[in-house]
This record gives sequence, structure tokens and C-alpha cells, in this order.
Amino acid sequence: MLRVERLSKEFQNGRGRSKTTVKAVDNLCFQCQPGEIYGLLGPNGAGKTTTLRCLSTLIKPTSGNVFIDQFNVLEHGQIFRSRIGFLTSDMKLDGYFTPDYMMNWFGRLNKMEAGRIEQQKEKLFNDLQMTDFVNKKIDQLSTGMKQKTAVAISLIHDPEVIIFDEPTNGLDIVTSKAVTDFLVSRAESGKIVIISTHNMTIAEKLCHRFGILVDGELKEEGTLNEIIEGSTRDNLEDVFFSYILPGGSHV
Amino acid sequence: MFKDSLIILRKELRRMFTDRRLLFMLVVLPLVMLPLMYSFMGKANKARMVEINSYSSRIAICSGEGGEEVKGWFLESLFTLNAHIETTGINELDSLKQRVIDKDLELLVVMPENMDEHVRDNSVFDLSIFYNSTGDYSMFAFDQVDIAFAAVAEAIIRKRIIESGMPEDVLTAFTINQQLSADETADLAEEGSAMGKLIGVMMPFFIVIYLFANSMKVGLDSVAGEKERGTLAMLLVNQVSRLSIVLGKMISVMVAAIVGAVSSAIGLRIASRYLIGMSRDSGASISDYTMGSMAILQFAIVVVPLAILISSLVLLVSTFARNVKEGQGMIMPVYIAVMVMGVTTMQTGDIPPEWMRLAPIFNSLVVLKDIFMQNAVWGNIVFSLATSLAVASVLVFITLRMFNDERVLFRI
Repeated sequence: MLRVERLSKEFQNGRGRSKTTVKAVDNLCFQCQPGEIYGLLGPNGAGKTTTLRCLSTLIKPTSGNVFIDQFNVLEHGQIFRSRIGFLTSDMKLDGYFTPDYMMNWFGRLNKMEAGRIEQQKEKLFNDLQMTDFVNKKIDQLSTGMKQKTAVAISLIHDPEVIIFDEPTNGLDIVTSKAVTDFLVSRAESGKIVIISTHNMTIAEKLCHRFGILVDGELKEEGTLNEIIEGSTRDNLEDVFFSYILPGGSHV
Repeated sequence: MFKDSLIILRKELRRMFTDRRLLFMLVVLPLVMLPLMYSFMGKANKARMVEINSYSSRIAICSGEGGEEVKGWFLESLFTLNAHIETTGINELDSLKQRVIDKDLELLVVMPENMDEHVRDNSVFDLSIFYNSTGDYSMFAFDQVDIAFAAVAEAIIRKRIIESGMPEDVLTAFTINQQLSADETADLAEEGSAMGKLIGVMMPFFIVIYLFANSMKVGLDSVAGEKERGTLAMLLVNQVSRLSIVLGKMISVMVAAIVGAVSSAIGLRIASRYLIGMSRDSGASISDYTMGSMAILQFAIVVVPLAILISSLVLLVSTFARNVKEGQGMIMPVYIAVMVMGVTTMQTGDIPPEWMRLAPIFNSLVVLKDIFMQNAVWGNIVFSLATSLAVASVLVFITLRMFNDERVLFRI
């Protein structure tokens, strides 16, 4: 189980007298069970990426903590990293190498034995339908192929928790479906999947539970039914816009 | 930890040595650049000299009245030159000056009135020679005429000495190197050291330039490029420590730097045959200069720590910069400073100022110069090694701190 407890993250802007503190994430709490896909929804600047960076040990929370089972992110960073797979939306892999080489390389960085790397590669290449292009240079691949490669690389060590920041951003409908289907299959095999997105259609289809994040605060949290029942709106998108549009109201 | 660094290093080296474009930039370019440059410069220089020597200079002699005999001496001295001489009266002076300005004339010689009387009376007279410093042919003609007129001056003095009854020998106070036997040479420099001096003056400059240039080519992309592509985050969420990442990347940058330095050293060795052609008075010969095994060892002891220092510096900037472009902007002043250090070392004499031996980078360049000139002292070599490594350690420490600082790694 992954548990986020009162997570806050502040950034300092400027120096001296003009120094200001920006609260990017404020007192965030949620938890995810194995087999669950959790969608963190919010507009740009809501704090989604900051939250996911805290979850993946890239940045330290100002206060609060994150747990995977009994391990917490502040004290067990190394264990945390071995149990998570993290992918950012804006990543561009070095075009000179092939997906196969990059998989081997990231496998070794994750201290995996050669045999296990081969097993994982075979599984991921098949699941993501990558076998036709694993030996081509990444430069020669389409955007969709590159994204599939990035997904595969981030999961080479078969992590229990998958954290993807905007995984379908900029992808065509076919690749987008391939990636979301893959995430569903991961969840079905007992993994915890946490994604951030502002695509409500994908979120509704993909996620079991949601957190709507606005200005660093978690405004809503629960399943689709729970969120809709607790509001006057009849779909997730309307609930979402009620929080972010000027003059929008929510119950 | 080192095993993890090795994983990172192997990927960086694979990139470096299998990417043809990068390989060309890192290895081939430093190797061929100097020979090409010097061969081109040598040929261009030679062609220019041939052109200037074959050029017939246009010289105007403008003189007043009453000095025909002495004027004849001056004109006679110019007959040996490849020149077209015009003689005119003083009334055309202004138009002749204008022709020099317009480069229609290379030189204008103005002779005073009554030169014959001045010679007879043993008094001084003044010649004016007008030239145009923006014209190569004008400057060349000035040099030629200066030499020719010096011979006239000597002839006048000789005439005066003889007429005063003094022996002609008083004109010669002493001679230099006229009494050496046929098997003696005046230049007592050790065999090869003249060539060593020629190489030693230039080599440190080119070595430091290529150490830096290659470090930049690989180092800026190494961290700033990964930040820009978003792949650094992926690297950081793996099982390797940040120290392993820094070391792996630093060693790869260092390898690129050393490859560049060695290539440029070989390139300069090849280019030195053209260098000799360009400096004919050095007495150097390409065939009599060899670097012994001790000099090669000393070279390695100085260059490797210098490469570590420069790689650490580039990696620090790369870590601090948001992207490659910002990194290039930040590193450029440092690159220029290092170039200035190289030029300064090139221009110092055999005994550099003491502060140069104390300052990092400078001291390595000075010692490199000593090594090529075959007068390196072990104490200086060890000191340069120690200072380079000490500064590099501080830079790696700061880089490591930055690697653990999310404000640096993820600032937008």
C-alpha cells in the first residue's frame, strides 16, 4: 500500500527582502492499494508534478511523509527507489541508442542480473508491442514508439508502484490507448499505478480513484461515484471545472 | 559505488567512440586542424613573400638643388633593388605625397638642398622618407631602401675617415663569430632543444584549448543536456548513488578531454614541419627532436590531473546550468580566461614569474612548457599535480552538493 500523509512542499522564490514562499503542495493526504489506478487531476501549476516528484524521491517534502508499506520516503529513499517506476511527460531519451540498449543499461543501474533483464525485456517488449523497433536508434522512432520505450525503461525493474506524470501527453489516440491498456494490465497484476493528467476522458476510463488538486490543495478525493454523488454535477469534467473556472461553484 | 560509476562511464564512452560525428569532433579535428592550419599559413606566407619579392616598387626621389653627386650615390644604391625610380623636383612634393596616400607610389624620398656641401663640411643632413603603413608593398620598400641608404651612410663615413687621415679599421670596433673554425658551431643548444623550444612555446596553449573544448563538447550535455531532455530525473530514481553518477560522468568528460589533448599534441608534432618553415631563423630541425619515455611520463603526470580539473569545472557548470545553452553562456568566460592563460604562458620567457608556478592551470601549462623544452623539475611537476587534484576535489565536492540540491537540479 502507498500512503501519503499530510504532504506539503514549499519553494522559496527570490532572495533577501523580495524572498517569497510558494506552497506548491499543501497538506496532501491519500492512499492507494495494490491493483488500484489513482488519478491526480488538476490544471497546470496545481502541484501534480511536485507531488509525484516527492513520491519518487526526487525532491524532499517540506513536511509530511510518504509510505510504501512500512518504508517512508524520508528515511528509506534507496528502498523507495527500488520499488517505484517513475516517468515524466517531457522526457526525450538520447536518440543515439536503441531501446534494447537503454533497457539493458537501466536494468544494470537497477542492479538487475543479466538473466532477469532479458526476462523483463521480453515481457515488456511484448506487452507494449515493441519487438519491431527495439534495435532501431531512438532518433528513428515515432513519438509513440519513443513513449513506449520510455514506459518500458521506467518499468524494467518491475516496480510495485508506477508513477507516471502525464503519460499520454502529446500521444496520438492509438499510442495513448496502448499506454493506458498497458497501465490497466499492470494494475490488474497487482501494481499500484499513480498518474497525473488533465485529460478527464482518459482519467474517467482509466482510474479507480481520483484526487482533484487545485493550488496545491486536494479539493476532492474518492471514486468517480463518490465524487459525483457529493456534487451537483453529473460528470467528472464538470466537477473539475467547478473548481478551476472563475466563478465556478461546487457543493 | 565504482561499479555503478563504471556502468555510467561505459554508456558515455560508447556514445563518444561510436558516434562518428562526435568522434570526428573529439579526435580527428584536433589531429588535423593544426597541420592543416599551419600548412595553409605556411603556403600563404610563402606565396605572399614571393609576390612581394617579385613586385617592382615605385619610388619617387624628390630633391632640391645642389646635391647632384650625393644624389647619384643614393640612386646608385637603389639600382640593385627591384624598383621603378622617378626623380622629380621639390615643387611636386604635395602631389607625390597624395600618390603615396593613394598607394600609387610606395615610397617618397625627399632629399635636402646642397647635400654635396653637407658631405664636404662633415655636417649632418636629413632625408625624409614617406611611406604608407597600410600597404604591405610600401613597408617592404621602406625596409629595402633603409638598408640601401645605410650602405650609402657607411660609404660617406668611410670617405670622411679616409680624408681625415685616420685608418679605415676604426670603423670596425669588433666582429662576431668570424674566428670560429669550420667544425665549430656558435649555437651550443642540446640536440633537439631548439625544436623543443618551438614546440614548447605552442604546445601548452593548444593542449589546454583542446582539453577545454573537448570537455565542453561532452560535459555540457552530460548533465545540462540530461536536465533539458528530462532524463536526469529518470537516472536519479534508480539504484545508483549520486556520487557514482558524478564520478561516472566526470571520468567520461576527462577521457574526452585527454583524447583531445593527445590528438592535438600529435597534430602539433605533425604541424611542426610547417612551423619550422615559417620561422627559418630558429635553427630547429624536426628530425632531431624526440620525447623520451621520462618526458612522456612527466607529460602524463601533468596532463591527466589538468584534464581532471578542467572536466570537474565543466561538469560543475553543466550541473548548475538549466540547459546546454545556459551552460555554454556560463562556460564561455571561463574558456576565454583559460585561452588567455595559454597565450600568457606562450609569451613568457624561459623563466616565468613565480606566481605562475603557484596558480592552478597556469602552473601545469608552465610545467608542460618546461617538459617540451627539456628542463622540467620534478618538484614543479609534483606541485602542479597536487594543485590540480586539490582544486578538482573541491569542484567535485561542490558538484556533488549541487547534485543533492533539488533547487539546482530542478530549477526551471
